[in-house]
Amino acid sequence: MAHSGNGNNSLDADREVCVEVRKLWKVFGHEPDRVLDDPELRVATKEEVLTRAGCIIALRDVSFSVHKGEFFVLMGLSGSGKSTLIRCIIRLAEPTAGSVFINGNDICALDEEGLSEVRRHTTGMVFQHFGLLPHRSVLDNVAYGLKIRGVSQEERYEKARACIEKVGLRGWEGYLPSSLSGGMQQRVGIARALAGDPEILLLDEPFSGLDPLIRRQMQDELLELQVEIQKTILFVTHDLHEALKVGDRIAIMRDGEIIQTGTPEDVVINPSDSYVRQFVQDASPTKVLTARTVMEQPPVLLYSWQGPKAALQTIRDANIDSAFVVTRKARILGQVTVEGLVALIRKRGTFLKDALDPDILTCHADSILDDLVPLVASTRYPVAVIDEDNRFLGEVYVSTIIANMIQEQGPGEDVETSEEVQDNPAVLEGPEDTEENEKTPGDGPSEGAEQA
Amino acid sequence: MMEFPEFLEIPLADLIDGIIAWILTNLGGVLDAIGDGLLGGLVAMERLLLWLPWFVIVGVVGFVAWRALRRWWSGPLMGGFLVFIGMLGYWDLAMMTLALIIAAVLISLAIGLPTGILMARNDRFASVLKPLLDAMQTMPSFVYLIPALMFFGLGKVPAVFATIIYAVPPVIRLTNVGIRGVPQSVVEAAKAFGATSRQVLVEVQLPLAFPSIMVGINQTTMMALAMVVIASMIGARGLGMEVLLAINRIEVGRGFEAGLSIVLLAIMIDRITHAFAAQQQYTKSP
Repeated sequence: MAHSGNGNNSLDADREVCVEVRKLWKVFGHEPDRVLDDPELRVATKEEVLTRAGCIIALRDVSFSVHKGEFFVLMGLSGSGKSTLIRCIIRLAEPTAGSVFINGNDICALDEEGLSEVRRHTTGMVFQHFGLLPHRSVLDNVAYGLKIRGVSQEERYEKARACIEKVGLRGWEGYLPSSLSGGMQQRVGIARALAGDPEILLLDEPFSGLDPLIRRQMQDELLELQVEIQKTILFVTHDLHEALKVGDRIAIMRDGEIIQTGTPEDVVINPSDSYVRQFVQDASPTKVLTARTVMEQPPVLLYSWQGPKAALQTIRDANIDSAFVVTRKARILGQVTVEGLVALIRKRGTFLKDALDPDILTCHADSILDDLVPLVASTRYPVAVIDEDNRFLGEVYVSTIIANMIQEQGPGEDVETSEEVQDNPAVLEGPEDTEENEKTPGDGPSEGAEQA
Repeated sequence: MMEFPEFLEIPLADLIDGIIAWILTNLGGVLDAIGDGLLGGLVAMERLLLWLPWFVIVGVVGFVAWRALRRWWSGPLMGGFLVFIGMLGYWDLAMMTLALIIAAVLISLAIGLPTGILMARNDRFASVLKPLLDAMQTMPSFVYLIPALMFFGLGKVPAVFATIIYAVPPVIRLTNVGIRGVPQSVVEAAKAFGATSRQVLVEVQLPLAFPSIMVGINQTTMMALAMVVIASMIGARGLGMEVLLAINRIEVGRGFEAGLSIVLLAIMIDRITHAFAAQQQYTKSP
């Protein structure tokens, strides 16, 4: 459920653009125009601009667009300009040049009042350091945005209570923020952003200040919440794992420029340059790879109308011990095993479907490998990959997933990864199972081909 | 050769005298109007304090002290201080001093709070005002008595005027520091939700700067008390005048009595205003 957003990437092109940033520049210093007007300085390195013009380029010619309902992540190390960029969108930082459009409205052309309107009604923001009012209760903090809008106390408290409930803080309404833990304070921050029911959520490193366990939990909750609320989200983070986990699309920033935009899978599999490659080399492939990417075509695929004896022969020829059974239109019915077929033939059965085991493990083509781990750990048969219409697309072997997990334990030995393995002890405990399955499909891939 | 060359000397004193003289001749009417206004307020305040029965004032002070300090003994103790001053025979003089302090502090706040806010929101104004405030606080307090005397003559009005000049810097300074010390993240969050700069000031900056502002008010009050004593030299009646008389007549006992009364008054005012400042901490649950 948490990753359901990842499947919608192909639809993005057709979707309405919600936020568009066009050729945005942000230059800090006394004479920003000197940099913008000088074609040489426009492309010079940061250091060069600093020494020659005394200015710091925070954003350099940044353009991107975010679609309605999309979860868009801006990722980069500190100093890459990502926080400045998200601030420029509602002009908490004033862009030096370029334009920002929200639903086609030019934000940079707005006067003070118009800008306040946008901030009050269209966007909601969550901050790394929470930014809660320390002298107001949780309830008042959540209702704050509504208060600024001039909503009556009764109405804003009602809405605030609903949002507090949504983020799981019921019962804490009367407390001051300082009596809450960091994670809980950030929930208040999220509730405050949601209270005004804005179209766009801007999240500036919302989970960076939290410890890893809480962080992961908050990410999951945010993804669950997003399924329910379906907002357009701009999310800033310096944590690649976080970006890969939550984002529908990721923009990677360096030195004030976006150097690659793509789906999590794109970014990990096809890094655009060495910087991104370096960045993603620690990423665990199991966190971004989908079943579609790693699935294989089975050596044998049986049809429901085939006889048991022929079926048994093909399976034995392929040197495997089970095969999936599909209808004429490739809809999956289940699987048969060698033992099942032998038993059927002994009973002189003639219909393959009598040996059919419909109770098989399937997964959607867009499922993330990480989510499949508990699934494959419980079986010695491959998992069938299917699409929305229950059509068979391919199969995934335990061995493939294990191989991808081993790959991630590179020389870097990153903490996140080792934790991951500990989380799933079942994977480590089943090596025999793995080997068995690894050999079986590999031995005779072509023999059964005519059956398929 | 070794002495400082005479031709380099600047006649600053003459210049200042000239300015004061010019103000006196050209703005005399304005000064009179200000003086009359101040005097009216002061006399009213003094009459009120002297009209109120002593036990009412003791009761009010005791109640406020108990509310502020949140100790059962604080009310009786602070009220007891006042009773003790009365027992020394200085009730009326203490009330006159208190009236001067209250008037001076109220006017100082009316000037100081807006100035402090302005200072916090405008860096250029702040950089101009800072050295001025430093000078105002470092200047020996007696110096303020002279122009006050020239502008308003002898009596209460010049005393209040000099007291305000001496006492206003802390509240300006600490209002400024308090507002600037409000975490940027909170201000930014308020702005992100569309708060206007007025809303940010009233709902975020001032409440969060409140403890600092209260410390400023406390300091301003204490400085006003100190100055009111000195201001008795230009004819402000009150406890300070008793001290002055005792010095002139070398009456040690009388001086000690009056001095002790001032100390008790100071402790009372300081503890109560300080407690209000310390009360604002955002760590308690309801």
